[in-house]
Order: sequence, then structure tokens, then C-alpha cells
Amino acid sequence: MESRWGPLAQYDWSVMAPEFTILIVATLISVIDLLMPNHSNRRPLAWLGIVGSLLAGWFVLQNTGHGVVEILNGSYRVDAFGNVFKLIFLAGTIFTLLMSINYLNRGGVKEEEKVVDHGEFYYLTLTALLGSMIMSSSADAITLFVGLELLSISSYILVGTRKKHLLSNESAFKYVVSGSIASATVLYGISFLYGLTGTTNLFEMADRLGQAYMAGNALLIYIAFFLTFVGLSFKISSVPYHMWAPDVYQGAPTPITAFLSVVSKAAGFALIIRFFITAFRSVVDYNAANGPHSVLISELLLVVGILAAISMIVGNTLALRQTNIKRMMAYSSIAQAGYILVPFATLTSLIFEQTVFYLIAYLLMNMGAFAIIMIVTGDRETEDIRSFAGLYHRAPFLAIAMTFFLLSLAGIPISAGFFGKFYIFMSSLVMGNYWLAGIMIATSVVSYYYYFGIIRQMYMRPGETEAPLRVPAGIAVIVLIAFIGTVGVGIVPDSVLNFIHANFPLMDLIEAAGQ
Amino acid sequence: MTVPLASYLLVALILFCIGLYGALTKRNAVIVLLSMELMLNAVNINLVAFAKFGAFANLTGQIFSLFSITLAAAEVAVGLAILISLYRNRRTVNVDEMDLLKR
Amino acid sequence: MADLYSNNYLIVAIFFILGLALPIGALTAGRFLRPNNPIAEKRTTYESGMEPIGGSWVQFNVKYYIYALLFVVFDVETIFLYPWAVAYDQLGLFALVEMLIFVTLLVIGLIYAWKKKVLEWD
Repeated sequence: MESRWGPLAQYDWSVMAPEFTILIVATLISVIDLLMPNHSNRRPLAWLGIVGSLLAGWFVLQNTGHGVVEILNGSYRVDAFGNVFKLIFLAGTIFTLLMSINYLNRGGVKEEEKVVDHGEFYYLTLTALLGSMIMSSSADAITLFVGLELLSISSYILVGTRKKHLLSNESAFKYVVSGSIASATVLYGISFLYGLTGTTNLFEMADRLGQAYMAGNALLIYIAFFLTFVGLSFKISSVPYHMWAPDVYQGAPTPITAFLSVVSKAAGFALIIRFFITAFRSVVDYNAANGPHSVLISELLLVVGILAAISMIVGNTLALRQTNIKRMMAYSSIAQAGYILVPFATLTSLIFEQTVFYLIAYLLMNMGAFAIIMIVTGDRETEDIRSFAGLYHRAPFLAIAMTFFLLSLAGIPISAGFFGKFYIFMSSLVMGNYWLAGIMIATSVVSYYYYFGIIRQMYMRPGETEAPLRVPAGIAVIVLIAFIGTVGVGIVPDSVLNFIHANFPLMDLIEAAGQ
Repeated sequence: MTVPLASYLLVALILFCIGLYGALTKRNAVIVLLSMELMLNAVNINLVAFAKFGAFANLTGQIFSLFSITLAAAEVAVGLAILISLYRNRRTVNVDEMDLLKR
Repeated sequence: MADLYSNNYLIVAIFFILGLALPIGALTAGRFLRPNNPIAEKRTTYESGMEPIGGSWVQFNVKYYIYALLFVVFDVETIFLYPWAVAYDQLGLFALVEMLIFVTLLVIGLIYAWKKKVLEWD
């Protein structure tokens, strides 16, 4: 058999089932979309996508709990860290597709604001998902980079799908330009890492980077780290590469804004944490005055902490003067990226659990908030914050749910967002990062102002109309799931954290395969 | 006579900086896209130089540069397509006139 | 050693002579074979193209870009076929199947362009 099918057939390809499912479904949707008559409704394609994502989720669960499996010399790698992130991406994509069905088929939209091709919208969401899944489960720089680009290129097109809408065109172009500069920067950084180590496999890279540091290439290692980090901070929209976010969030179709702020950001975090922790963990300075210490922890992550702090400050203060709700959410998401960077910057033993917990909370509250934003701004035909005026009288449940999501984003007890922030805050206190914890508290207090601005509009301002707001079933389902999730995680945060801890041994990120 | 590794890296660095400068300052959107290509090609020079003259010379760098060439092509293709649809609506390729999203 | 060098220059000289002789030979043969009919249309620089007169800052039809995009994507993706073909003997049948999947995906891209009427000029 070996001679005929060759060495590639020896690998256990079944571990790639989640990715294959998404790839096959995306290809199938694109072929069906081409064969369908032009004016028939594309709604079934979205349902096909949702079913495919659920199936992929089931395959991910099948992969869980079997330890680390690597195929293709580490190019593809299954571990608990990747699996838990894949589940987050899949959930986010299912929410996005549900929102898209309503977004694309809503009535009363001006001709120029319509998405021209519905089928493309659905399968590009799936290819973006595929890119993020690859980003979370590989131990090879080439594969990670290909995943990153698959996600980026798909989302460039998704942002610009309203082809006749000027704002959408403009934001898509800005996204392409800043995204390409970011990927070139990442790639430039990785090229130096390759030059120092002669490999793209993260585990081999880790060993040789330690030797390279001792051989006196410290400066190049710093340069490579910062180039790569700056480029990757584009994906998570944190300082120093955050300025695209407001423009792109405003110009993109609302479901895609939600997708960018949740799935794309989570994928960025998966890549950042895996890449830097795996490749830089054995860069140790043995000649320091106060004994050997890890360069990653003592020097590089200090800068990450400072950048996280600047993200919080910039995001929360600039959000104060926004009147467009999507721009405000963009600045809010810059600030949230700052919070989620804190566990990585402090690097406690619980970094993975804390990051994953916060991302799950963020997935629930942000998806819920964007679903409501989509309905309200679509109904009032303006994205101004005043479109929320009088929402409590028009749709009480929606207003209450939105209040909860905003309180959770602001980090008020008892909500999922509060505990996410609380765990991060405690870990930075434990590690002695008092300044970071202080900035977190201060900027959170600032953020109350603009989150409460929306709540004030919903309850205290009279709206232009008192007519009840009709909520489509798909949106109601999203809001309900997100609401129950946000409240539920807020009530039993410890059980959720323990569940993650017990079922996903996230530390296997740095384990070699077959152990 | 062999050219030392440092000269290749220097060429790549200069190209990268020219590309970055062009992408950030040029007015014409097509030139911005060209500048992005310059940046990505600087990376390719780096990778191929390391693959030939690096401390651990091996083929991986060349394979990596193949991937980066294709991805750069795809990225610029999408960028041009978006620029065309923008041009159809706005009749301009000047970056400084794309200012509808300011507040 | 000197022998080797002169041999190398011999090859250069052969190429040089061939490079001169081929076009001269072809054009001379053409001169004897072709009918001589110099009308005004035939005397233009590009017989079937546009008149190359005017400024160089003309606007191109935007369709050229779409053609170029299509060309670039397909042209560049074939990069992956070369390493595969070189290493084919070591890779075995499984790699053939993988490459067929890759080519199928490219063909779907072509069908997409066809269905979207990118391949038609008007």
C-alpha cells in the first residue's frame, strides 16, 4: 500500500473532519449558488451553512479529549486549545448566519444599500470561518499565515458586499489596505524568525530561538517579536493597529460587523497566544544580574501590557464622543481587546482559562447586542444612538435584553462580562501588575458613561414612534440564547470556569504530539 | 564572489520601507496597492535570502515565499476589485477623497 | 583552463550568430515568399490595433482590470503545480488525489467567472 498511495496516506486524516466539513459545505453552497436561477431566494443556502457548522461542531467535540494529534509534521494539530476556540468560532458563525438571513431578506431597504449577491455572502462567511479554524489549530508558521489570509481576504469581500453603497465600498477599501500592510508586517517579522531558526515549525523554532538568543541575536528577536505582534494586533483591533476598526465597523453590513468583532477577534487571540507562547517560551536570559529569567515574561510582555493599557484608554475615551452606534461599538471593541490582552500580558498559569472565559462572555454579549442593533437601526433607518429612543415602550423584552448586554459589556455585576473582567483583574493583582489593574478599573468606569447613554435613550427618551417593534424569529432566538447565556454565565461563573478547566486541558498547547 | 546575507536583508529593508512609505502617503489608490506589493516582495527577498545564506539554510524559506506570492496576488486582486466597485460609485481613485466615514 | 574559457565563449558566439541569423533568415525568406501589396492600412504600425497617437495618459476600459485579475489569480495558483510535479514520484497517488481536489476548486472559480459573464467582453 505504501508504495502506491505514498507517505501522505499514512496520516490520520479523520482528525481534520471539522475543516473538511466546512470546506465541502462552502464549496457546495458556491456551486449550488451558481446553478440556481438568478432571482430565487438564497435562504436555504444559509440553512445549509448552519447545518454544516453544527456538524463541524459535532466533529470538534469528537476530537476533544483525545490528547494532542499532529499530522503533516505539525502543519495541522488538534489540541484542546484549538478545539475550544473552534467551538467559539462555530457558535459565532451560526449567530452571524442567523442574523444574515434576516439582514439580507428584510424589506424596505433602499436599492443602493442592498447586498447584491446573497449566496456569496453565505459561503464567504464559511470560508472566513475555515480560515479562523486553521489559525487556531496549526503549529506551523506557513499554515497559520495561510489561515490568517483566508480569514482576512474573505472578510475584505464581506465588508464590501453592499456593492452600490459608497460607505461600504470605502470601508472595504480601507480594510484591504490596512489589512495588507498588517499581513506584510506579520510576514516580515516571521521571515526574521525563520532566518534565525531555519524552520517554520513552532516547536523547533522554540528550541532554536533560545540558542539564537544566547548567540547574541537578541536585537533581531525583539524586532521580530514586535513586527509580528504589531501586525497581529490588526486582527484583534488593539493599539497600535486599531484605527481601521471604527470605519470598517460602520461601513460593513451589521452581521459582518458582529462577525469581525467576535470571530475574527477570537481568531486573532488564538493565533497570538499560540504563536508567541509556543515559539518564545524558551528564550531565556541566563546572564542577567538577578539570575536566569524568561525574556518573554520579563521584557516582551511588559510592552504588550502597555499596549493593552493604551487600547483600553483610547477605546473607552474615544467611544465617549461617538453618536453612531456602530462606531461606538467599534471603540468599545478596541477597549475589550485591551482587556482580553491582559491575561496574556500578565501570563499567569490561568491565562488560557481566563482568555477563553472572557471570549465566551464576549461572544454572547456582543452577538446579542449586535442582533438588537441590527433590528433597531434597520427599523429607524439611521445608525444614530437616538434610534434607540423609547425602545422600552416599543419592545420591552428587547430593551431589557439590550440593557443586560450593555451592563455585561461595561462589567457590572452580576453578568458574564463582570466575571470575565473580575478574573482578569484578580490575576493582574496577583502578579503584582497594580498599574494595569488600576487602568482597567479607571477605564471601565469611563465606559459606564457611554453604555449608560444607550440605556438612557431606551428608557427615558421619547421615541419618534410608539409602534411596537416586530422582531423576526431568527433574531429573537439569538437574543434569547445570548440573554440566557449572559445571565447564566454571570450566575454560575465558577462552574463554567471549572468546566473549561476540566474538559479542555488548555496547557497542551505547548505539548509535543503523542504524549 | 558571493554577496553577503546582510546586503540582501538591507535591500529587503529598503524595499519594505519604501513600500510602507508609499502605502501611507500616496494619493492614488492603485499606487497604494503597488506599495503593498513592494512590502510583500521585500518579505520574499528576506525569505529566499535566508533559505540560501541563512544560518540554517534549507528549502522551507522558498516554499514559504511561494505561499506568500500567491496570497499577495489574491489580496491585491481583491483590493483591485473593491477599488473598481468604489470607482464605479464615486468616480475617483484618490485616497484623500475617501472621507465619508469621518465624524 | 584557458581551453574551458574559450569553449564557453564559443557557445556565446554560436548563440550570437544564431540570434542574428534566425531573424535575418526568416525576414529574407519572407520577403521572397510574400505577395507585395502596400496599401495604406498595411503601412500602419499595428495593422489590427489602435493608432498609437496622442498622450499616454489614456483611460483604459475597466474591463481590462477584471481580465487582469482573472489572469493573475489563475496564473499564480499554478505555482503550486510545479513543486508537486517535481516531487510527484515520492508523493504517490494520494498527492494526485489532493492535486485533483485543488484543480477542481480552481475549475469552480473558472465556472464562477463564466457564470458571472466575466469572460464576455460586452
